[in-house]
Amino acid sequence: MKQRFISSAQIILQLALTTVGLTGQSYPGKPQIIRCRSLEKETFSCWWKPGSDGGLPNNYTLFYSKDSEEKIYECPDYLTSGPNSCYFDKNHTNPWTTYIITVMATNEIGSNSSDPQHVDVTSIVQPDAPVNLSLETNTSANMSYLWAKWSPPPLADASSNSHVYHYELRLKPEEKEEWETVSVGMQTHYEMSSLQAGVKYIVQVRCMLDLGEWSEWSLERRIQIPKERLPPEKPTIIKCRSPEKETFTCWWKPASDEGLSTNHTLLYSKEGEEKVYECPDYKTAGPNSCYFDKKHTSFWTIYNITVRATNEMGSNVSDPHYVDVTYIVQPDPPVNITLELKKSVNRKPYLVLTWSPPPLADVRSGWLTLEYELRLKPEEGEEWETIFVGQQTQCKMFSLNPGKRYIVQIHCKPDHHGLWSEWSPEMYIEIPTDFRVKDMVVWIIVGVLSSLICLIMSWIMILKGYRMMAFILPPVPGPKIKGIDTHLLETGKSEELLSALGCHGFPPTSDCEELLIEYLEVEDSEDQQLMPSHDTPSKNPKIILKETDSDSGRGSCDSPSLLPVKCRESRAFPSTLQTQDVRAKEKKGGKGTWETQCTASEQKILPCNSESTSPCTWLAAQLPSSQPAMFAYHSTVEAFKITLNTTNVNSSPVLVGNEENHQSLYPIAETVYDDVEKKSEMENSKTDQTTVQVRKNQHNDKSPFLNSRLMDYVEVHKVRQDEEPTLLLKHKESSGKTKKCIVPGTSKEYTKVSTVVDHHILVLLPDQRMQHPPVSQEPVAETSQNPQQTQAEKNTSYSTTAPSNPTRDTSGSDYMDPSSFMPSFK
Amino acid sequence: CHTSGMLTPNGKEYVQKIPREELTHLILKLLQAWKEPLSHFNLHIEHHEELPDDSLSKAKEISNMVHELKTGVEKVTEKMQSMGIISNSLNGMASSEGTGLSISNEANMMSDSDFIHCFRRDSNKVQSYLKILKCRIMPENSC
Repeated sequence: MKQRFISSAQIILQLALTTVGLTGQSYPGKPQIIRCRSLEKETFSCWWKPGSDGGLPNNYTLFYSKDSEEKIYECPDYLTSGPNSCYFDKNHTNPWTTYIITVMATNEIGSNSSDPQHVDVTSIVQPDAPVNLSLETNTSANMSYLWAKWSPPPLADASSNSHVYHYELRLKPEEKEEWETVSVGMQTHYEMSSLQAGVKYIVQVRCMLDLGEWSEWSLERRIQIPKERLPPEKPTIIKCRSPEKETFTCWWKPASDEGLSTNHTLLYSKEGEEKVYECPDYKTAGPNSCYFDKKHTSFWTIYNITVRATNEMGSNVSDPHYVDVTYIVQPDPPVNITLELKKSVNRKPYLVLTWSPPPLADVRSGWLTLEYELRLKPEEGEEWETIFVGQQTQCKMFSLNPGKRYIVQIHCKPDHHGLWSEWSPEMYIEIPTDFRVKDMVVWIIVGVLSSLICLIMSWIMILKGYRMMAFILPPVPGPKIKGIDTHLLETGKSEELLSALGCHGFPPTSDCEELLIEYLEVEDSEDQQLMPSHDTPSKNPKIILKETDSDSGRGSCDSPSLLPVKCRESRAFPSTLQTQDVRAKEKKGGKGTWETQCTASEQKILPCNSESTSPCTWLAAQLPSSQPAMFAYHSTVEAFKITLNTTNVNSSPVLVGNEENHQSLYPIAETVYDDVEKKSEMENSKTDQTTVQVRKNQHNDKSPFLNSRLMDYVEVHKVRQDEEPTLLLKHKESSGKTKKCIVPGTSKEYTKVSTVVDHHILVLLPDQRMQHPPVSQEPVAETSQNPQQTQAEKNTSYSTTAPSNPTRDTSGSDYMDPSSFMPSFK
Repeated sequence: CHTSGMLTPNGKEYVQKIPREELTHLILKLLQAWKEPLSHFNLHIEHHEELPDDSLSKAKEISNMVHELKTGVEKVTEKMQSMGIISNSLNGMASSEGTGLSISNEANMMSDSDFIHCFRRDSNKVQSYLKILKCRIMPENSC
């Protein structure tokens, strides 16, 4: 509510005012006293500023009162000091009193008065500025003086000129900022001397009474201090040049001009003469130069040249310059430069430059001989290649790069002492690129061919790489038996293994007997393991023939096995070991035991199934290590060699050749027998005991393993000590045919195992019975009995069941036939 | 320079104006005038220890060259005379010998730098004269 009330009141007030404003009538605004000032302490004036006039004419009245007085006076003089002012003249001015002044503005409506102003005369004294400032300069004896004069400020009352003012002067160079103020005292003039010549100065003065304030600065006055007048500085001669060895020109540098006009003159004298001449021609060569024409030019004489500068104050002479025209020749650049591209024989472009000497040079008379030098660079290049050409006026450039743009310049110099001319203006030449189609085609073809070759090579590598690697780095042969799972081997489960191999019942049971060659007779018939029986082919061969790959390189008891394979009845063929070379291997112990170590690798079981067609090669070779025996039935000689060599003493590989079907020659690991050494005489002096080495099969069939055919059996024929021992492997059936061996006359058959030596060597004895191969059961039995053992000990050979039965050997098993090791072949 | 006394043309026009015989003679005179002072100079600087090593050999070389040049010019002059290109009028080499002696006396008293300066100038003179002469007599090649 209140607010509303207030606002409404304001509105009403405003309305009233505007009404008043509209009508334009109101009481006057408040005036304001601006200032009061006394010029000389005897009079003073006050000025006020009116307020708003309220639309009606205002009257202003000034009232004052002196301090300590109540009486109010009115302004005595409104006019003298101008409008809105009040002038207090001498009669009304009392310096020692304080005036209280107010101004009232009055109009028809009302009046308004200003605030009262207290004025003390003595404190408001400020004179006017001095007037009539004048400046003068005076130069005498190289010194410039500044003379300043002025007048005191004017007063209304001329009689009061007795006032004494103090003056102050200030000046500064026109361009500078800072004033230099000088206290002048009471005089109205002043002289200054330390001023810079040639500088324009600004001067001002002001005054003051003994009390009060300084007046304002007077108006500015400017003055130019004249420059110093000096004789000119020394000019210098810059250079003298002759462009053609007939005339010459000299240039000099003039002395600095200080406002005074300076004249230059060139004077010279020749060597040997005293006379001084003046320059004949100041104009031809431009300002500040002197041109000596032909007449005034002498050669082989030294000129002494000087330049003199003269002005009002004096003159100055340059240092002398000695010149012999002969040595200052600097020609103009060569002209008429032509660049031409020509093609040489092999189609490479070369550049031919020609030029002419500068026109002024008189080369024709021989007076001036010029030497030329040219430089060029590719447009983008940084360094110039400079070539000195001598006096010739043409040049051929060969070694330029096609396709680039070149810049060429030439300059010349006299052949004797002289100076190089300026370089001629730049000339551009572009060497065309010579794209010979033939070249490009050649390169393209080369590129394509090489990429093709690379592709082919890489392809070959990818495809055949493996084989090549195999060729280069033949893989290390490892044991590999077909059908044998190495895993099974590791686990040592013979049953599984054997079953995997297809043989059953390892250790060889009596079934094996059947696999044995019929001829094999085992003496001890306890175990008829060795008994070759034809009738039970079902007996599981305990020995599994290993089939080896011919290319596995591993010895395998593969193939034409020693054992008569019943399954191979039909084609039983004795594997006859050729009696080519049976050498008794030198035994360690000199035991002449024929060890038929058929260390079939423990897991080598000859598959003796009749159905099986895989020939079993049975090779006894005991490896020194527990590695599976390397049946040397493989083509590589080394294997057998290895086996031979590495076998223990006690082991001798008995190799039974593999029989191929009707092949009389069992490709016993030929290799094996190669280096069968002669065995030494056995210790056991069993007469017929000789260690036999199965020797290489004569058959040169390099496929030692006729894997596909089983060898039915092997009959070991006798071995004669004195003869070449032969181990004949006889086929059980074709016993008649088995006599392949060449063993002369030997009719013995080593079918009797005499001893077992060292637990793994069977010593065979010849058997009297020919066709009755005794079945050496026992050893076989042993063997068979200890399949586990053999299996277990990885080193045992088949033949050696010996370990268990060292003595059983003599039981009559005359021989060790492989069948003993092998389960009966069916 | 000790040869300053000789009147030699010192401007192209003057050189072209004087007859060939005179020019030739002048050349020979100049060369002759330097023969003695050069040898003297060589002797003189041999005892100079401050000079670089090249200077001695160079000075000797220059003396030889001047001598050879003189000989060559003489031969050419004879040839020219025989061919009738120039006349035989000025064959007074003997007189030049005489003047040469007095000249060389002066030469011996020059300082080294003055000597070299004078020699440089005179050799330039001779070169220019010869070139002009060549082009006057055989204007074909490079003239």
